[in-house]
Amino acid sequence: MEEHLKDREREARELRRREADWNYINSLPPRLRAALVFYIETGDLYVAAKIAGLRVEEFNELRIRAGIPHVN
Amino acid sequence: MEAIADTSFLVDWARFSHRDLLFRVFRVVWIPEDVLNEVQSERTLMWIADRLASGDMSLFPLLPEYRDRALRLVELSRRGPTRGLDFPEAYCIAVAEDRGYIALSENGAAYAAQFLYTTARVWRAYEVLWELRSRGLVPDDAIFTYQEETKHKFPQRDIQRWRDCRS
Repeated sequence: MEEHLKDREREARELRRREADWNYINSLPPRLRAALVFYIETGDLYVAAKIAGLRVEEFNELRIRAGIPHVN
Repeated sequence: MEAIADTSFLVDWARFSHRDLLFRVFRVVWIPEDVLNEVQSERTLMWIADRLASGDMSLFPLLPEYRDRALRLVELSRRGPTRGLDFPEAYCIAVAEDRGYIALSENGAAYAAQFLYTTARVWRAYEVLWELRSRGLVPDDAIFTYQEETKHKFPQRDIQRWRDCRS
């Protein structure tokens, strides 16, 4: 089961990395950029929103604009 | 059945055109009070306010016994093999495991928790859609509609499982 769960995390991370609009992400201010990169690596919406200084839903709109799928 | 939903579930589900079908599966969906601080769009706020008014949703307060259990779950998860829980989803799991609710979350750590260290059941939108399809309330392509409308993606193996079990 542990390996299966780790595989799921790996697959999700790769999908987020692959589909992200990196040009858009790199054009953003450092705080938002850092938050999106954190999100891509972890899928953690709550902490990413805290890094960005946004509410969770606000950050969710940002991740959509950045082309990053919410994978789970 | 009753459920308790975290923000990660609600902000995606609120974008879904068939979002009110959630209440054909759950008699009440409890919302931790903190969730209201994390939503901001008119679409989501109006939906939640409307459903609170109708009684389909209800606010769940921050109670010390569940707060303590949630913190223990966060600590426990940090020692595990997968990514750790954050407090909001841990709180939903703490409530769900004690009260027999289903925890609704799109957080990967919450999904993993049910296989590792909690007796609570954790459903994603995927499981809700599966339940809706099994009751004949959504068509076979509902999962693709959901993905398109919410920009949410389910793992390939789950999509395959969905296709393999057509209603």
